[in-house]
Amino acid sequence: MYCLPDSSTRHVVLVVDDTVANVAVLAEHLSANGLEIIVAQNGEESVERARFAKPDLILLDIMMPGIDGFETCRRLKSYRETRDIPVIFTTALADIGDKVKAYEVGGVDYITKPFHVEEVFARVNAHLALQAMQRAMAAQNRLLQQEIAARSAAEEVLACRTKELARSNAELEQLAYVASHDLQEPLRMITSYLQLLDQRYTNRIDADATEFIAFAVDGAKRMQTLIDDLLTYSRLGSRARPLQPTSCADIVSDALLCLRAAIEDSGADVVCGDLPTVMGDERQLLQLFQNLIANAIKFGKGGAQVIRIDAEDAGSAWCLSVRDNGIGIAPEYFERIFVMFQRLHTRAKYPGTGIGLALCKRIVDHHQGRIWVESELGQGSVFKFTLPKVGD
Amino acid sequence: MAVLKALHPIEILLVEDSPGDVRLTREALKDAKITNTLHVIEDGVLALDFLYRRSPFESAPRPDLILLDLNLPRKNGREVLAEIKSSDFLKSIPVVILTTSSAEEDILRAYNLHANCYITKPVDFNQFTTAVRTIKDFWLTIVTLPPK
Repeated sequence: MYCLPDSSTRHVVLVVDDTVANVAVLAEHLSANGLEIIVAQNGEESVERARFAKPDLILLDIMMPGIDGFETCRRLKSYRETRDIPVIFTTALADIGDKVKAYEVGGVDYITKPFHVEEVFARVNAHLALQAMQRAMAAQNRLLQQEIAARSAAEEVLACRTKELARSNAELEQLAYVASHDLQEPLRMITSYLQLLDQRYTNRIDADATEFIAFAVDGAKRMQTLIDDLLTYSRLGSRARPLQPTSCADIVSDALLCLRAAIEDSGADVVCGDLPTVMGDERQLLQLFQNLIANAIKFGKGGAQVIRIDAEDAGSAWCLSVRDNGIGIAPEYFERIFVMFQRLHTRAKYPGTGIGLALCKRIVDHHQGRIWVESELGQGSVFKFTLPKVGD
Repeated sequence: MAVLKALHPIEILLVEDSPGDVRLTREALKDAKITNTLHVIEDGVLALDFLYRRSPFESAPRPDLILLDLNLPRKNGREVLAEIKSSDFLKSIPVVILTTSSAEEDILRAYNLHANCYITKPVDFNQFTTAVRTIKDFWLTIVTLPPK
Protein backbone atom coordinates (compact mmCIF):
# COMPACT_ATOMS: atom_id res chain seq x y z
CA MET A 1 0.00 0.00 0.00
CA TYR A 2 1.27 3.35 -0.78
CA CYS A 3 0.34 4.91 2.54
CA LEU A 4 2.87 6.50 4.78
CA PRO A 5 2.96 5.66 8.49
CA ASP A 6 2.52 9.24 9.59
CA SER A 7 0.69 11.34 7.05
CA SER A 8 0.91 14.54 9.08
CA THR A 9 4.58 15.15 8.46
CA ARG A 10 6.40 14.60 5.24
CA HIS A 11 9.29 12.21 5.53
CA VAL A 12 12.62 13.39 4.17
CA VAL A 13 14.74 11.07 2.01
CA LEU A 14 18.33 11.86 1.10
CA VAL A 15 19.23 10.45 -2.30
CA VAL A 16 22.94 10.03 -2.87
CA ASP A 17 24.13 9.22 -6.37
CA ASP A 18 26.81 10.74 -8.62
CA THR A 19 24.70 10.09 -11.75
CA VAL A 20 22.21 12.95 -12.04
CA ALA A 21 19.86 10.93 -14.23
CA ASN A 22 19.36 8.30 -11.48
CA VAL A 23 18.66 10.97 -8.90
CA ALA A 24 16.13 12.71 -11.14
CA VAL A 25 14.07 9.58 -11.79
CA LEU A 26 13.97 8.59 -8.15
CA ALA A 27 13.32 12.08 -6.89
CA GLU A 28 10.39 12.56 -9.20
CA HIS A 29 8.70 9.33 -8.24
CA LEU A 30 9.29 9.56 -4.54
CA SER A 31 8.18 13.17 -4.20
CA ALA A 32 5.07 12.39 -6.23
CA ASN A 33 4.24 9.95 -3.46
CA GLY A 34 4.54 12.49 -0.69
CA LEU A 35 8.21 12.23 0.25
CA GLU A 36 10.46 15.23 0.46
CA ILE A 37 13.72 14.70 -1.40
CA ILE A 38 17.15 16.14 -0.78
CA VAL A 39 20.14 15.25 -2.89
CA ALA A 40 23.87 14.74 -2.64
CA GLN A 41 26.29 13.72 -5.33
CA ASN A 42 29.14 12.25 -3.38
CA GLY A 43 30.01 10.64 -0.08
CA GLU A 44 31.41 13.61 1.80
CA GLU A 45 28.60 15.90 0.66
CA SER A 46 26.01 13.35 1.73
CA VAL A 47 27.49 13.03 5.23
CA GLU A 48 27.47 16.80 5.64
CA ARG A 49 23.95 17.14 4.34
CA ALA A 50 22.72 14.27 6.46
CA ARG A 51 24.26 15.71 9.63
CA PHE A 52 22.58 18.99 8.95
CA ALA A 53 19.18 17.98 7.57
CA LYS A 54 18.78 14.68 9.50
CA PRO A 55 16.66 12.90 6.88
CA ASP A 56 14.45 9.96 7.82
CA LEU A 57 16.14 7.65 5.31
CA ILE A 58 19.15 7.62 2.96
CA LEU A 59 19.29 5.99 -0.47
CA LEU A 60 23.01 5.50 -0.97
CA ASP A 61 24.84 4.65 -4.16
CA ILE A 62 27.97 2.55 -3.71
CA MET A 63 30.14 3.47 -6.71
CA MET A 64 30.94 7.14 -6.33
CA PRO A 65 33.97 9.37 -6.84
CA GLY A 66 35.85 10.06 -3.65
CA ILE A 67 34.76 7.81 -0.77
CA ASP A 68 32.51 4.97 -1.80
CA GLY A 69 29.09 4.15 -0.40
CA PHE A 70 30.45 1.68 2.17
CA GLU A 71 32.85 4.21 3.63
CA THR A 72 30.12 6.85 3.52
CA CYS A 73 27.90 4.54 5.48
CA ARG A 74 30.61 3.88 8.02
CA ARG A 75 30.99 7.59 8.54
CA LEU A 76 27.29 8.14 8.81
CA LYS A 77 27.17 5.47 11.48
CA SER A 78 29.94 7.15 13.40
CA TYR A 79 28.04 10.39 14.03
CA ARG A 80 25.41 10.51 16.70
CA GLU A 81 23.04 12.65 14.59
CA THR A 82 23.09 10.26 11.66
CA ARG A 83 23.77 6.93 13.33
CA ASP A 84 20.15 5.82 13.48
CA ILE A 85 19.09 6.91 9.98
CA PRO A 86 18.33 3.77 7.93
CA VAL A 87 20.57 3.44 4.86
CA ILE A 88 19.41 1.63 1.72
CA PHE A 89 22.22 0.90 -0.72
CA THR A 90 21.51 1.28 -4.45
CA THR A 91 24.01 -0.07 -6.92
CA ALA A 92 24.65 -2.05 -10.03
CA LEU A 93 26.93 -4.32 -8.09
CA ALA A 94 25.14 -7.57 -7.34
CA ASP A 95 27.97 -9.56 -5.93
CA ILE A 96 27.04 -11.53 -2.77
CA GLY A 97 30.17 -10.23 -1.11
CA ASP A 98 29.01 -6.66 -1.67
CA LYS A 99 25.56 -7.45 -0.35
CA VAL A 100 27.04 -8.88 2.81
CA LYS A 101 29.36 -5.91 3.14
CA ALA A 102 26.41 -3.57 2.79
CA TYR A 103 24.76 -5.10 5.84
CA GLU A 104 28.06 -5.28 7.66
CA VAL A 105 28.63 -1.54 7.46
CA GLY A 106 25.16 -0.96 8.82
CA GLY A 107 22.86 -0.77 5.82
CA VAL A 108 19.32 -2.04 6.22
CA ASP A 109 18.61 -2.95 2.60
CA TYR A 110 20.19 -3.32 -0.81
CA ILE A 111 18.51 -2.49 -4.14
CA THR A 112 20.19 -3.40 -7.41
CA LYS A 113 20.13 -1.17 -10.47
CA PRO A 114 18.38 -0.95 -12.80
CA PHE A 115 15.58 -0.62 -10.28
CA HIS A 116 11.86 -0.23 -10.50
CA VAL A 117 10.78 2.98 -8.86
CA GLU A 118 7.69 1.31 -7.38
CA GLU A 119 9.93 -1.30 -5.77
CA VAL A 120 12.21 1.40 -4.38
CA PHE A 121 9.26 3.25 -2.99
CA ALA A 122 7.86 0.10 -1.42
CA ARG A 123 11.11 -0.64 0.33
CA VAL A 124 11.60 2.96 1.41
CA ASN A 125 8.10 2.92 2.80
CA ALA A 126 8.65 -0.29 4.67
CA HIS A 127 11.82 0.99 6.29
CA LEU A 128 10.25 4.33 7.16
CA ALA A 129 7.38 2.50 8.84
CA LEU A 130 9.85 0.33 10.73
CA GLN A 131 11.75 3.35 11.84
CA ALA A 132 8.62 5.10 12.94
CA MET A 133 7.74 2.06 15.03
CA GLN A 134 11.21 1.96 16.52
CA ARG A 135 10.99 5.62 17.42
CA ALA A 136 7.58 5.13 19.00
CA MET A 137 8.91 2.21 21.02
CA ALA A 138 11.91 4.22 22.16
CA ALA A 139 9.62 7.02 23.28
CA GLN A 140 7.39 4.54 25.08
CA ASN A 141 10.45 3.06 26.76
CA ARG A 142 11.55 6.45 27.94
CA LEU A 143 8.11 7.08 29.45
CA LEU A 144 8.15 3.71 31.17
CA GLN A 145 11.62 4.37 32.55
CA GLN A 146 10.40 7.65 33.94
CA GLU A 147 7.44 5.97 35.54
CA ILE A 148 9.65 3.28 37.05
CA ALA A 149 12.01 5.91 38.40
CA ALA A 150 9.11 7.85 39.86
CA ARG A 151 7.69 4.75 41.47
CA SER A 152 11.05 3.68 42.90
CA ALA A 153 11.47 7.12 44.36
CA ALA A 154 8.00 6.96 45.89
CA GLU A 155 8.71 3.50 47.29
CA GLU A 156 11.93 4.73 48.82
CA VAL A 157 10.12 7.62 50.45
CA LEU A 158 7.52 5.20 51.77
CA ALA A 159 10.15 2.83 53.12
CA CYS A 160 11.92 5.74 54.75
CA ARG A 161 8.73 7.00 56.33
CA THR A 162 7.79 3.54 57.55
CA LYS A 163 11.17 3.10 59.15
CA GLU A 164 10.88 6.52 60.74
CA LEU A 165 7.42 5.72 62.02
CA ALA A 166 8.54 2.44 63.50
CA ARG A 167 11.42 4.17 65.22
CA SER A 168 9.16 6.90 66.54
CA ASN A 169 6.68 4.33 67.82
CA ALA A 170 9.38 2.38 69.58
CA GLU A 171 10.62 5.58 71.16
CA LEU A 172 7.16 6.52 72.38
CA GLU A 173 6.62 3.10 73.87
CA GLN A 174 9.94 3.30 75.61
CA LEU A 175 9.05 6.77 76.88
CA ALA A 176 5.69 5.61 78.20
CA TYR A 177 7.34 2.68 79.92
CA VAL A 178 10.14 4.67 81.49
CA ALA A 179 7.86 7.50 82.56
CA SER A 180 5.42 5.14 84.21
CA HIS A 181 8.20 3.22 85.84
CA ASP A 182 9.99 6.25 87.25
CA LEU A 183 6.80 7.91 88.36
CA GLN A 184 6.03 5.10 90.73
CA GLU A 185 8.70 5.78 93.27
CA PRO A 186 7.84 9.39 94.17
CA LEU A 187 4.20 8.40 94.11
CA ARG A 188 4.85 5.72 96.68
CA MET A 189 6.50 8.31 98.85
CA ILE A 190 3.44 10.52 98.70
CA THR A 191 1.02 7.70 99.42
CA SER A 192 3.07 6.10 102.16
CA TYR A 193 3.87 9.24 104.13
CA LEU A 194 0.36 10.60 103.90
CA GLN A 195 -0.86 7.32 105.28
CA LEU A 196 1.77 7.43 108.00
CA LEU A 197 0.69 10.96 108.91
CA ASP A 198 -2.88 9.82 109.04
CA GLN A 199 -2.14 6.89 111.29
CA ARG A 200 0.42 8.44 113.63
CA TYR A 201 -1.31 11.75 114.13
CA THR A 202 -4.99 10.75 114.22
CA ASN A 203 -5.29 12.01 117.76
CA ARG A 204 -3.42 15.19 117.20
CA ILE A 205 -5.06 16.57 114.07
CA ASP A 206 -8.59 17.82 113.56
CA ALA A 207 -11.31 16.36 111.32
CA ASP A 208 -10.51 18.79 108.53
CA ALA A 209 -6.91 17.70 108.35
CA THR A 210 -8.00 14.06 108.30
CA GLU A 211 -10.33 14.79 105.41
CA PHE A 212 -7.62 16.67 103.53
CA ILE A 213 -5.24 13.79 103.98
CA ALA A 214 -7.92 11.36 102.78
CA PHE A 215 -8.38 13.29 99.54
CA ALA A 216 -4.64 13.48 99.03
CA VAL A 217 -4.18 9.76 99.61
CA ASP A 218 -7.08 8.98 97.31
CA GLY A 219 -5.55 11.13 94.59
CA ALA A 220 -2.22 9.42 94.94
CA LYS A 221 -3.80 5.96 94.81
CA ARG A 222 -5.73 6.84 91.68
CA MET A 223 -2.56 8.09 90.11
CA GLN A 224 -0.92 4.81 90.96
CA THR A 225 -3.70 2.90 89.19
CA LEU A 226 -3.40 5.18 86.17
CA ILE A 227 0.34 4.53 86.01
CA ASP A 228 -0.21 0.79 86.34
CA ASP A 229 -2.70 0.93 83.48
CA LEU A 230 -0.34 3.02 81.36
CA LEU A 231 2.43 0.52 82.00
CA THR A 232 0.21 -2.38 80.97
CA TYR A 233 -0.81 -0.48 77.84
CA SER A 234 2.71 0.42 76.84
CA ARG A 235 4.02 -3.06 77.53
CA LEU A 236 1.54 -4.51 75.05
CA GLY A 237 3.71 -3.40 72.17
CA SER A 238 7.09 -4.24 73.64
CA ARG A 239 6.11 -7.64 74.92
CA ALA A 240 4.38 -8.75 71.74
CA ARG A 241 5.18 -12.26 70.64
CA PRO A 242 4.43 -13.93 67.29
CA LEU A 243 0.87 -15.18 66.93
CA GLN A 244 0.27 -18.86 67.54
CA PRO A 245 -2.75 -21.13 67.41
CA THR A 246 -4.60 -20.40 70.66
CA SER A 247 -7.75 -21.98 72.00
CA CYS A 248 -10.34 -19.32 72.86
CA ALA A 249 -12.18 -21.84 75.00
CA ASP A 250 -9.09 -22.29 77.18
CA ILE A 251 -8.49 -18.56 77.37
CA VAL A 252 -12.06 -17.85 78.41
CA SER A 253 -12.03 -20.49 81.10
CA ASP A 254 -8.79 -18.96 82.46
CA ALA A 255 -10.37 -15.52 82.38
CA LEU A 256 -13.41 -16.79 84.26
CA LEU A 257 -11.10 -18.29 86.86
CA CYS A 258 -9.37 -14.92 87.36
CA LEU A 259 -12.77 -13.24 87.70
CA ARG A 260 -14.20 -15.93 89.94
CA ALA A 261 -14.71 -13.61 92.91
CA ALA A 262 -16.42 -10.91 90.86
CA ILE A 263 -18.64 -13.47 89.17
CA GLU A 264 -19.68 -14.98 92.49
CA ASP A 265 -20.34 -11.59 94.09
CA SER A 266 -22.53 -10.46 91.23
CA GLY A 267 -24.25 -13.80 90.81
CA ALA A 268 -23.79 -13.41 87.08
CA ASP A 269 -24.46 -16.40 84.87
CA VAL A 270 -21.74 -16.78 82.24
CA VAL A 271 -22.61 -18.91 79.23
CA CYS A 272 -20.10 -19.96 76.59
CA GLY A 273 -20.83 -21.12 73.09
CA ASP A 274 -18.42 -23.14 70.96
CA LEU A 275 -15.25 -21.12 70.71
CA PRO A 276 -12.66 -21.58 67.96
CA THR A 277 -8.91 -21.81 67.91
CA VAL A 278 -7.44 -18.58 66.57
CA MET A 279 -3.99 -17.17 65.76
CA GLY A 280 -3.16 -15.12 68.81
CA ASP A 281 -0.94 -14.06 71.67
CA GLU A 282 -2.18 -16.04 74.65
CA ARG A 283 -1.44 -13.45 77.28
CA GLN A 284 -2.97 -10.59 75.34
CA LEU A 285 -6.13 -12.55 74.54
CA LEU A 286 -6.50 -13.43 78.21
CA GLN A 287 -6.32 -9.72 79.03
CA LEU A 288 -8.86 -8.97 76.28
CA PHE A 289 -11.46 -11.47 77.44
CA GLN A 290 -10.88 -10.58 81.06
CA ASN A 291 -11.49 -6.88 80.42
CA LEU A 292 -14.64 -7.48 78.41
CA ILE A 293 -16.12 -9.97 80.85
CA ALA A 294 -15.21 -7.79 83.84
CA ASN A 295 -16.95 -4.85 82.15
CA ALA A 296 -20.01 -6.98 81.49
CA ILE A 297 -20.15 -7.83 85.18
CA LYS A 298 -19.41 -4.28 86.34
CA PHE A 299 -22.07 -2.58 84.25
CA GLY A 300 -24.94 -4.86 85.16
CA LYS A 301 -28.29 -3.28 85.89
CA GLY A 302 -29.10 -5.31 88.99
CA GLY A 303 -31.27 -8.37 88.84
CA ALA A 304 -30.24 -11.52 87.08
CA GLN A 305 -27.12 -10.92 85.04
CA VAL A 306 -26.51 -13.09 82.00
CA ILE A 307 -23.28 -12.91 80.04
CA ARG A 308 -22.92 -14.81 76.75
CA ILE A 309 -19.65 -15.47 74.94
CA ASP A 310 -20.03 -16.68 71.36
CA ALA A 311 -18.18 -17.06 68.11
CA GLU A 312 -19.27 -16.78 64.51
CA ASP A 313 -17.49 -17.67 61.31
CA ALA A 314 -17.04 -14.37 59.49
CA GLY A 315 -15.40 -15.78 56.39
CA SER A 316 -11.85 -14.47 56.49
CA ALA A 317 -11.75 -14.32 60.30
CA TRP A 318 -13.57 -15.38 63.44
CA CYS A 319 -16.00 -12.91 64.99
CA LEU A 320 -16.27 -13.29 68.76
CA SER A 321 -18.79 -11.58 70.98
CA VAL A 322 -19.31 -10.85 74.66
CA ARG A 323 -22.95 -10.03 75.34
CA ASP A 324 -24.52 -8.72 78.54
CA ASN A 325 -27.94 -7.59 79.71
CA GLY A 326 -26.62 -4.60 81.63
CA ILE A 327 -27.11 -0.84 81.46
CA GLY A 328 -26.18 -0.49 77.80
CA ILE A 329 -24.48 2.38 76.00
CA ALA A 330 -25.94 5.31 74.05
CA PRO A 331 -24.99 5.30 70.35
CA GLU A 332 -23.17 8.62 70.47
CA TYR A 333 -20.56 7.04 72.72
CA PHE A 334 -19.93 3.89 70.67
CA GLU A 335 -16.57 5.21 69.44
CA ARG A 336 -15.51 7.25 72.44
CA ILE A 337 -15.42 4.35 74.87
CA PHE A 338 -12.43 2.86 73.03
CA VAL A 339 -10.38 5.99 73.62
CA MET A 340 -7.90 5.91 76.46
CA PHE A 341 -9.21 7.17 79.78
CA GLN A 342 -12.60 8.09 78.37
CA ARG A 343 -15.31 7.25 80.91
CA LEU A 344 -19.05 7.62 80.71
CA HIS A 345 -19.81 7.60 84.42
CA THR A 346 -18.41 9.10 87.60
CA ARG A 347 -15.89 7.13 89.56
CA ALA A 348 -18.32 6.98 92.46
CA LYS A 349 -20.80 5.03 90.36
CA TYR A 350 -18.46 2.74 88.51
CA PRO A 351 -14.80 2.42 89.45
CA GLY A 352 -12.11 2.26 86.83
CA THR A 353 -9.62 4.41 84.99
CA GLY A 354 -11.21 4.07 81.58
CA ILE A 355 -8.30 2.26 80.01
CA GLY A 356 -9.87 -1.21 79.79
CA LEU A 357 -11.44 -0.82 76.35
CA ALA A 358 -8.48 1.13 74.97
CA LEU A 359 -6.38 -1.86 75.99
CA CYS A 360 -8.86 -4.20 74.28
CA LYS A 361 -8.68 -2.15 71.09
CA ARG A 362 -4.90 -2.20 71.12
CA ILE A 363 -4.88 -5.97 71.54
CA VAL A 364 -7.40 -6.50 68.74
CA ASP A 365 -5.40 -4.11 66.51
CA HIS A 366 -2.32 -6.20 67.19
CA HIS A 367 -4.25 -9.21 65.92
CA GLN A 368 -5.23 -7.29 62.76
CA GLY A 369 -8.85 -7.35 63.87
CA ARG A 370 -11.68 -4.91 64.49
CA ILE A 371 -13.57 -4.29 67.71
CA TRP A 372 -16.92 -2.53 68.05
CA VAL A 373 -20.01 -2.45 70.19
CA GLU A 374 -23.70 -2.88 69.50
CA SER A 375 -25.89 -1.72 72.30
CA GLU A 376 -29.24 -0.44 73.45
CA LEU A 377 -29.45 1.84 76.46
CA GLY A 378 -31.14 0.00 79.31
CA GLN A 379 -31.07 -3.34 77.49
CA GLY A 380 -27.47 -4.40 77.35
CA SER A 381 -24.43 -4.42 75.10
CA VAL A 382 -22.61 -6.84 72.89
CA PHE A 383 -18.93 -6.26 72.22
CA LYS A 384 -17.76 -7.86 69.00
CA PHE A 385 -14.25 -8.36 67.72
CA THR A 386 -12.51 -10.29 64.96
CA LEU A 387 -9.50 -12.56 65.35
CA PRO A 388 -7.43 -14.27 62.64
CA LYS A 389 -8.18 -17.83 61.62
CA VAL A 390 -5.47 -20.42 61.88
CA GLY A 391 -3.70 -21.14 58.65
CA ASP A 392 -4.11 -17.69 57.09
CA MET B 1 17.30 -22.02 119.38
CA ALA B 2 15.04 -18.95 119.47
CA VAL B 3 16.88 -17.73 122.57
CA LEU B 4 20.23 -18.11 120.87
CA LYS B 5 18.99 -16.18 117.91
CA ALA B 6 17.80 -13.28 120.08
CA LEU B 7 21.16 -13.01 121.82
CA HIS B 8 22.99 -12.38 118.65
CA PRO B 9 21.86 -9.08 117.13
CA ILE B 10 20.95 -9.50 113.52
CA GLU B 11 22.79 -7.30 111.09
CA ILE B 12 20.75 -6.18 108.14
CA LEU B 13 22.25 -4.29 105.23
CA LEU B 14 19.77 -2.09 103.39
CA VAL B 15 21.04 -0.83 100.05
CA GLU B 16 18.60 1.91 99.13
CA ASP B 17 19.01 5.45 97.84
CA SER B 18 15.56 6.87 98.58
CA PRO B 19 15.62 8.45 102.08
CA GLY B 20 11.84 8.14 102.22
CA ASP B 21 12.04 4.40 101.68
CA VAL B 22 14.92 4.10 104.13
CA ARG B 23 12.85 5.75 106.81
CA LEU B 24 9.82 3.57 106.07
CA THR B 25 11.91 0.43 106.20
CA ARG B 26 13.49 1.51 109.45
CA GLU B 27 10.05 2.11 110.96
CA ALA B 28 8.84 -1.25 109.80
CA LEU B 29 11.85 -3.08 111.19
CA LYS B 30 11.49 -1.68 114.68
CA ASP B 31 10.80 -4.67 116.83
CA ALA B 32 11.48 -5.24 120.51
CA LYS B 33 11.69 -9.03 120.24
CA ILE B 34 14.57 -9.29 117.87
CA THR B 35 17.42 -6.95 118.12
CA ASN B 36 18.48 -5.91 114.74
CA THR B 37 20.90 -3.34 113.51
CA LEU B 38 20.09 -1.71 110.22
CA HIS B 39 23.01 -0.54 108.12
CA VAL B 40 22.06 1.75 105.29
CA ILE B 41 24.21 2.26 102.21
CA GLU B 42 23.01 4.50 99.39
CA ASP B 43 24.93 3.38 96.37
CA GLY B 44 26.07 0.21 94.71
CA VAL B 45 29.82 0.84 94.78
CA LEU B 46 29.78 1.69 98.52
CA ALA B 47 27.60 -1.36 99.20
CA LEU B 48 30.32 -3.63 97.85
CA ASP B 49 32.99 -1.72 99.76
CA PHE B 50 30.94 -2.36 102.91
CA LEU B 51 30.61 -6.05 102.14
CA TYR B 52 34.30 -6.51 101.37
CA ARG B 53 35.20 -4.36 104.38
CA ARG B 54 37.21 -1.98 102.22
CA SER B 55 37.93 1.55 103.44
CA PRO B 56 36.13 3.26 105.15
CA PHE B 57 34.22 0.12 106.19
CA GLU B 58 37.08 -1.88 107.67
CA SER B 59 35.15 -2.62 110.85
CA ALA B 60 31.82 -3.33 109.18
CA PRO B 61 30.02 -6.43 110.42
CA ARG B 62 29.09 -9.17 108.01
CA PRO B 63 25.34 -8.80 107.32
CA ASP B 64 22.95 -11.69 108.00
CA LEU B 65 20.56 -10.40 105.39
CA ILE B 66 20.77 -7.93 102.52
CA LEU B 67 17.78 -5.91 101.33
CA LEU B 68 18.69 -4.61 97.90
CA ASP B 69 16.95 -2.08 95.67
CA LEU B 70 17.58 -2.32 91.94
CA ASN B 71 17.75 1.38 91.10
CA LEU B 72 20.93 2.69 92.66
CA PRO B 73 23.44 5.34 91.70
CA ARG B 74 26.81 4.28 90.22
CA LYS B 75 26.50 0.50 90.36
CA ASN B 76 22.88 -0.60 90.03
CA GLY B 77 21.27 -3.37 92.09
CA ARG B 78 21.65 -5.98 89.38
CA GLU B 79 25.40 -5.51 89.21
CA VAL B 80 25.70 -5.61 93.00
CA LEU B 81 23.63 -8.79 93.08
CA ALA B 82 25.76 -10.37 90.38
CA GLU B 83 28.95 -9.59 92.24
CA ILE B 84 27.66 -10.86 95.56
CA LYS B 85 26.41 -14.13 94.11
CA SER B 86 29.62 -14.78 92.19
CA SER B 87 31.88 -14.11 95.17
CA ASP B 88 32.80 -17.17 97.22
CA PHE B 89 33.15 -14.88 100.18
CA LEU B 90 29.74 -13.25 99.88
CA LYS B 91 27.42 -15.60 98.03
CA SER B 92 26.01 -17.35 101.06
CA ILE B 93 24.39 -14.16 102.38
CA PRO B 94 20.66 -14.15 101.54
CA VAL B 95 19.76 -11.26 99.26
CA VAL B 96 16.18 -10.01 99.13
CA ILE B 97 15.48 -7.75 96.17
CA LEU B 98 13.08 -5.07 97.41
CA THR B 99 12.26 -2.72 94.58
CA THR B 100 9.52 -0.71 92.83
CA SER B 101 9.68 -2.57 89.53
CA SER B 102 7.12 -5.25 88.79
CA ALA B 103 8.49 -5.75 85.29
CA GLU B 104 8.87 -9.39 84.40
CA GLU B 105 12.27 -8.94 82.86
CA ASP B 106 13.59 -7.42 86.09
CA ILE B 107 12.17 -10.28 88.14
CA LEU B 108 13.54 -12.94 85.84
CA ARG B 109 16.95 -11.35 85.65
CA ALA B 110 17.17 -11.07 89.42
CA TYR B 111 16.34 -14.73 89.95
CA ASN B 112 18.75 -15.73 87.21
CA LEU B 113 21.43 -13.83 89.10
CA HIS B 114 20.51 -15.97 92.13
CA ALA B 115 18.58 -13.46 94.21
CA ASN B 116 17.08 -15.37 97.12
CA CYS B 117 13.75 -13.69 96.53
CA TYR B 118 12.18 -10.73 94.81
CA ILE B 119 9.61 -8.40 96.37
CA THR B 120 7.84 -5.53 94.61
CA LYS B 121 7.41 -2.69 97.12
CA PRO B 122 3.67 -2.30 97.80
CA VAL B 123 2.26 1.15 97.18
CA ASP B 124 0.11 1.09 100.24
CA PHE B 125 2.11 2.03 103.32
CA ASN B 126 0.46 -0.56 105.54
CA GLN B 127 1.14 -3.26 103.01
CA PHE B 128 4.74 -2.10 102.75
CA THR B 129 5.16 -2.32 106.50
CA THR B 130 3.61 -5.77 106.53
CA ALA B 131 5.90 -6.87 103.71
CA VAL B 132 9.05 -5.69 105.48
CA ARG B 133 7.94 -7.25 108.75
CA THR B 134 7.16 -10.48 106.98
CA ILE B 135 10.59 -10.47 105.36
CA LYS B 136 12.16 -9.98 108.75
CA ASP B 137 10.05 -12.66 110.44
CA PHE B 138 10.64 -15.15 107.68
CA TRP B 139 14.38 -14.66 107.23
CA LEU B 140 15.27 -14.00 110.81
CA THR B 141 13.03 -16.35 112.78
CA ILE B 142 11.77 -19.09 110.51
CA VAL B 143 14.74 -19.51 108.26
CA THR B 144 18.04 -20.82 109.51
CA LEU B 145 20.72 -18.46 108.32
CA PRO B 146 24.12 -19.69 107.27
CA PRO B 147 26.70 -19.72 110.03
CA LYS B 148 29.10 -16.80 109.95
